[in-house]
Amino acid sequence: MTKEIIRLTNLTKLYDKDTRPINNVTVSMIKGAWTSIMGPSGSGKTTLLNLIGCLDSPTKGTIHINGTEITKLNRDQLTRFRRENIGLIFQQYHLVPYLTALENVLMAQYYHSIVDESEAIDALKRVGLGHRLKHVPAHLSGGEQQRVCIARALINEPEILLADEPTGNLDQKNGEVVLKLIKKLREEGHTIILVTHNPDIGRLGDRLIELIDGKISSDTAINIKM
Amino acid sequence: MFLRILRKSLSKRKSRIAIAVISVIMGAAIATALLSVSLDVSEKVGYEFRKYGANLIVVPKSDTIEVGFPGVDFGSVTEQRYINESDLWKIKTIFWRNNVLGFAPILYQVVSVGENQYEQNVVLAGTYFNKDVEIIEPYSLDDPSIFNTGIQKISPWWKVNGNWIEDQNDTTSSMVGIKVAEKLNLEIGNIFTIKYYENYEGLINETIYNLTVKGIIETDGNEDNQIFVNLQVAQDLTSRMDKVHLIQVSALCNACPVDTFAEEIEGKIPYAEARTVKQLVNAEMNILGKIEDMMFLVTIVALLASALGVMTTMTTSVIERQKEIGLMKSVGAEDKKIAFLFLSEASIIGAIGGLVGYIVGTVLAQFIGLSVFDTSITPRVEIIPIALGISVGIALLASSLPVRRATKVEPAIVLRGE
Ligand SMILES: Nc1ncnc2c1ncn2[C@@H]1O[C@H](COP(=O)(O)OP(=O)(O)OP(=O)(O)O)[C@@H](O)[C@H]1O
Ligand SMILES: [Mg+2]
Repeated sequence: MTKEIIRLTNLTKLYDKDTRPINNVTVSMIKGAWTSIMGPSGSGKTTLLNLIGCLDSPTKGTIHINGTEITKLNRDQLTRFRRENIGLIFQQYHLVPYLTALENVLMAQYYHSIVDESEAIDALKRVGLGHRLKHVPAHLSGGEQQRVCIARALINEPEILLADEPTGNLDQKNGEVVLKLIKKLREEGHTIILVTHNPDIGRLGDRLIELIDGKISSDTAINIKM
Repeated sequence: MFLRILRKSLSKRKSRIAIAVISVIMGAAIATALLSVSLDVSEKVGYEFRKYGANLIVVPKSDTIEVGFPGVDFGSVTEQRYINESDLWKIKTIFWRNNVLGFAPILYQVVSVGENQYEQNVVLAGTYFNKDVEIIEPYSLDDPSIFNTGIQKISPWWKVNGNWIEDQNDTTSSMVGIKVAEKLNLEIGNIFTIKYYENYEGLINETIYNLTVKGIIETDGNEDNQIFVNLQVAQDLTSRMDKVHLIQVSALCNACPVDTFAEEIEGKIPYAEARTVKQLVNAEMNILGKIEDMMFLVTIVALLASALGVMTTMTTSVIERQKEIGLMKSVGAEDKKIAFLFLSEASIIGAIGGLVGYIVGTVLAQFIGLSVFDTSITPRVEIIPIALGISVGIALLASSLPVRRATKVEPAIVLRGE
């Protein structure tokens, strides 16, 4: 029982004439799978995530998510589609510095629909931050900030989670905490796309796609489970 | 939640916001100050207008002498003809009679005061102070038959030390101009002597008359050099019964044509000529208009400066907060929500600036009033909404460009490193 959730067709993105960060990529991903994306720096990993995450529009080609051709949507429609379907986890966490951990999560609720504080507190408890609700980002460790970011990504219950180097700024111990969380989310049925430079992390998923110069150079199913 | 975001985003960037608020304060303060001053001053011009008291002067016709105002150049008055005191009531029988606030006749005579070598000439002016004039044939039957009038009514701005002459039959009191009082060393209650020389077919006839100083007048005008007595005293002294040189008429005339007034009075007293003194006030109004134009320009410049201040702050803020904007968009904020957040910030900056600016401006208005116009300026609550409106408007306007910029921020930047 595999259901396609994301399909990219002849996807091309170019910023200027010479660089083609994404060059004619056609690929699809199934619901509930964890896809890792690896590749050298500048190979187009982040660009690809931006496109799937409705943060950017391709130059050519189409993207279907859950049957919707998002490449046909306008700016505001994209925004609304994103907040319903996609959660984003960033290497730099991007917490709003003047808001507390809880408020950062509440903000995502606010822009999505309505604010429900107990739900937001639950989300933070799930990532193990029940005791850090009133702290501003400056008073949280990197790992804690990343967990706030994850709680924020999850609060609106998106099907798809996109993570760009989520452990890139974390030490091993904190990185493991975050990866454990992501694994749990995978088990809960979220579709995960994770960009990483670390081959060990790359192997954690169900599938590993390697990008070189904007093209898919290898696409491997991973069977070994930890 | 929105309010929480708004409050925190403002309070965490206090110094930046302060700069914007201060620039709004300055603009709003200057606008408030100049508005208060100009409102007050134009009101005071109305007062000034009344200060001229008479806006019509009635003199005998074909009178070639120059009638200076508010005093009269006495040298050329001696030869002239007169207006009959018994015709004065007719002024109150014109169509616009209810707009005639008051009138006062004046009979001038040079008299001499002081002894021997200190003897000097002074103008004695006989007039009404507080006189009941009988309206012999009222315009309408409903009109009162007695009209109380006098110089006090048409010149309420006179600074009087001591008292006005209240009794219309008082023949011993006088009110002396301050300069006369200084020259003759007169104080309230003093009695002094005036001498009137009459040249009667080559014979000089000297009449001596004693007057008590009831009040000392200060007007900064010709009145300061004159001695005022009841008309009757001046007439008796110079044997010119029923005669006056001129009549000062005070007509309250906002809409009605002063020229019509003049014509009507001439109709009632055919041998008289009524002259308006509107020109004087017009000149004054002109200068005021120019001052107001200038204030308007200064206000515009000040508001432009505020707008620039707000724009700079907002632009910096948008650039600094690009990541935050991108993040808000990535979690689902549409462009209009981003715009709303920034415009709300601008409104708050504008509102605080406007309110504080109003207070500062009111204080500033006092300084301007005292140092430039020599009067205090009444603080006006009705300017608050104006100041607020202008400030918020300016802040919003000045933010429109930075806000456009904020809505243009691409959410894709959140995935890109620095
Ligand atoms: N906004 C942009 N304008 C122009 N070129 C861009 C822009 N963003 C990315 N690029 C270019 O596109 C290419 C792919 O960039 P991308 O960020 O997707 O690489 P990446 O695989 O994520 O690299 P890294 O591993 O260093 O994060 C690079 O050559 C980059 O310089
Ligand atoms: Mg990248």
